[in-house]
Amino acid sequence: MSASGMAQGLGSYILFTVAGTTYALPSGEVRHMEMLEGVTRVPNAPTFVDGVVFSRGQVVPVVNLRARFGFERAAYDLRTRLIVVQAASRVIGLVVDSAREFVNIPPESIQPPHEALAGMSGRYVEGVASLGDKRLVLTLDLSRILNFAESLPLDLNS
Amino acid sequence: MTTDNSTPFSDFLDDYFAECDDHLMGVRRLLLTLEGSVGRSEIDRPALDELFRHFHSLKGISGMVELRAAEDLAHSLEEYLRALRQLEATLSGEGVDALFDGAQMLEQVIGARRAGTAPPSIDAAVARIGRVVTDGASDRTISSAARPTAVPRQSRKPRWLCTFSPSADLVARGIRVDTVRQRLSSAGEITSAAPRVTPEGAVAFEFEITANLDDATLEAWRADGIVVEPIVETDAEGQAVLDVLAAGPEPEAAIEGDLAAGGGVAPSHFVRVDLTRLDELMRNVGDLVISRARLTETLARLERRIPSAEWRAIQENAVAIDRQLRTLREGIMRVRLVPVGEIFRRMPFVVRDLARESGKRVHLELRGQGTEIDKFLIERMMDPVLHLVRNAVSHGIETAEERIAAGKSPEGTIILSAATAGDVVRIEIADDGRGVDAAAVVERARTVGLPVPPQGAVDSSNLLTLLCAPGFSTRDESDRASGRGVGMGVVQAAVEELSGSLSLETTPGAGTRFTLELPVTLAITDALIATVAGETFAVPQAAVREVMEVPVSGLLQVERNEMTPYRGAALPIVRLGRLFGLPDSQRDRLHVFVIGTGTAALGVAVDRIIGQREIVVRAIADELVKVEGISGATDLGDGNVVLILDPAVLARHMRERPDRVFAARGAAR
Amino acid sequence: MPKILIVDDSATIRKMVRSSLRQLADAEFVEAGNGLEAIEQIALGAVSLIILDLNMPDMHGVDVLKFLRRHQGWSDVPVVVLTTRGDETSRETAIAAGATEYLTKPFAPQVLLEAARTLLADTARPRV
Repeated sequence: MSASGMAQGLGSYILFTVAGTTYALPSGEVRHMEMLEGVTRVPNAPTFVDGVVFSRGQVVPVVNLRARFGFERAAYDLRTRLIVVQAASRVIGLVVDSAREFVNIPPESIQPPHEALAGMSGRYVEGVASLGDKRLVLTLDLSRILNFAESLPLDLNS
Repeated sequence: MTTDNSTPFSDFLDDYFAECDDHLMGVRRLLLTLEGSVGRSEIDRPALDELFRHFHSLKGISGMVELRAAEDLAHSLEEYLRALRQLEATLSGEGVDALFDGAQMLEQVIGARRAGTAPPSIDAAVARIGRVVTDGASDRTISSAARPTAVPRQSRKPRWLCTFSPSADLVARGIRVDTVRQRLSSAGEITSAAPRVTPEGAVAFEFEITANLDDATLEAWRADGIVVEPIVETDAEGQAVLDVLAAGPEPEAAIEGDLAAGGGVAPSHFVRVDLTRLDELMRNVGDLVISRARLTETLARLERRIPSAEWRAIQENAVAIDRQLRTLREGIMRVRLVPVGEIFRRMPFVVRDLARESGKRVHLELRGQGTEIDKFLIERMMDPVLHLVRNAVSHGIETAEERIAAGKSPEGTIILSAATAGDVVRIEIADDGRGVDAAAVVERARTVGLPVPPQGAVDSSNLLTLLCAPGFSTRDESDRASGRGVGMGVVQAAVEELSGSLSLETTPGAGTRFTLELPVTLAITDALIATVAGETFAVPQAAVREVMEVPVSGLLQVERNEMTPYRGAALPIVRLGRLFGLPDSQRDRLHVFVIGTGTAALGVAVDRIIGQREIVVRAIADELVKVEGISGATDLGDGNVVLILDPAVLARHMRERPDRVFAARGAAR
Repeated sequence: MPKILIVDDSATIRKMVRSSLRQLADAEFVEAGNGLEAIEQIALGAVSLIILDLNMPDMHGVDVLKFLRRHQGWSDVPVVVLTTRGDETSRETAIAAGATEYLTKPFAPQVLLEAARTLLADTARPRV
């Protein structure tokens, strides 16, 4: 599935889950989603990087969001997805527990995050949105997730 | 029947004698042929090769039964023929006589063993051959200029590509690759034979033959699993136009006629090169590189005993050889450029079959077959291009009735073309058929649950995205409404794997064009593939001086380093696994590749060296995975990333911090 | 039951190799006289060990080996290569091409038998 080919209006997001919480990323930042097969470990890479895969002929680092957010890793299963995103000129893959939906979230329904949300994934959350069906999803700041330098203090499980 | 229990293979003496008889018979026959060449300007090369093989085999089996005299004699005969083959010596009258002499002596030695009598002395015969080798030319000389084994371009017989895939069923019917080969060579002349791996991972054998084949033969062969396609000849401008009619009475004759006419091609200054010969050349160059490295090692040890002025001279020579070797290697790599016609040549046949099946009339035009691309790309583009051409016939071109109703000519046209533009090669498959129905594609996408663009935002680019999306088509569909069939995703993936791109232009009712763009040059390099602790790595061949096996029990502990005896000194060994924090091997033997020279030489130990491969080097761009000691990544064919090591960094690390597992930036493990 | 493929253009040598290995319990032998036949045998399935002569006409053993190792499922099959005295193919070339073991003809049958035994025992490898 490729979202990039879709002329999306503002407010189109892709939803995915990590450790029970649902997050959202603007679909303009998402190149495509794949099932995950055969990740090659890169020795001495940061702990939250599972390794690399080939995607469309490119070498793409695979960032495990569970690990990034400080959760315990889970084995990949049939629902695990690799979301390949683009931030500036970087192409990165994010491993999530599941990913499926596209939703439209009008900008008005996104609130800044609560104080209480700061903590594990809090650092990466840009806002909280309430979907039509009363679900709460957290919108993410991709550049923070991918910013290497911030990784050290957050690896509570290392 | 002698049963002498003094040698381990004495039970096989009868087999040995029987095989010797076969070989000696061949030797006699071939020597007579070669004798006929004395005084002529060209030696019979195939006869020379065959004779060489006989002596080589005789040497081998004689060694196994420990008949030393026969082994040694056969060896010197083989050496002489080897020199001839490599153009180092010329075949004189004396040379032929020495060969006759040697062959006769060989017969006597073997005969003596058979009879249980004392063998005659071989010394005189061996000496005689030795003299011929060292002597230069004499008055009756023949040059053994190698005649190209290629079929001369002006051969009138048509050429065919015969593909055979072995299977248990065929074996049960007694049909194996050997039977196939025999059948083909009795029908005509085999000009090349090579194995190939199909995309599904099965094995197929491809034979190129020149022969006149009638329908009955083609049918019989097809029934036995031999798929035959004519090889299209092109005219001097590299274009071939073939009219392919479906349900018509004349097709066979028309094609035969075209092929025969096309066969009389004006001679060009190109030589057809059998790709297996190219492989052999590459292998020889690889051996040269290894020998060169060993020479360096040896010279390095002698350095202190040689006056410095002379040492400088030697160094200059060595550097020159290095440079020349590299040029040679690069030159051979350039020979790898293959005309894209290799892919195109199958198409007329494919189109004809499909058109016939679907009752359509299709005209296929080929352009730019002389366009050259790397052999590596050819192999991988074969199936994607085939797929697109098939699609054009099945889904693009309408039936004659539909075309007439739409005001078009009843015969559809497909143009398959290739051209270079700067540093890309562009391959286009264009048809004048019904075009892609955007609305139907979007509808179908919606049905299978793919995300679709909003109304009015559909263009060729996202149309292509939908067509290539997984799940868009199913295997047993030939959905006309959607415009295209199965596997577009595979085509796109194949193109992107090669750093290329696929694009689509379409006009409903008028036609469709797919464009494949591929880079002309790929960063390809030779590498050794090794495994350590279950992980696979690639090491650039150029950095590897030598490869060896080292028993773990033979390793010496010197302070905190492991060493192994090597060429009279000690070579430090670094276990690759340890450098990367992977567990040690449990094996009792390690494969070691040696990098660096002299005092900087280092042995890098891995669990196993799997083999050599040509790899396409892909950059690792992102900071997150840029790690010391890894210079890039490659794909060995299964889609998984294999990391490429940087031996220079490894060597440096070893010198500077031998006892630490080197860490990358960021969190350590 | 391990299947052992013996590749050599000499029928006599094939017999000798077979005889050297007859003590391997349960082993099944198949033979090939040239590279194409060898590849065919492997493609037909489940070869556990290959004894491969290098200097063969038509397709050199090293090229057979390289073809083998390029294929996904066959990179692990142990291969013992046999060379003859004066052969240009060095040990390094053979190992670099993916040979597991390297023997020179003439070889003593015990040596081949031991090598084969070790390689077969070594096999926690998946069968082809």
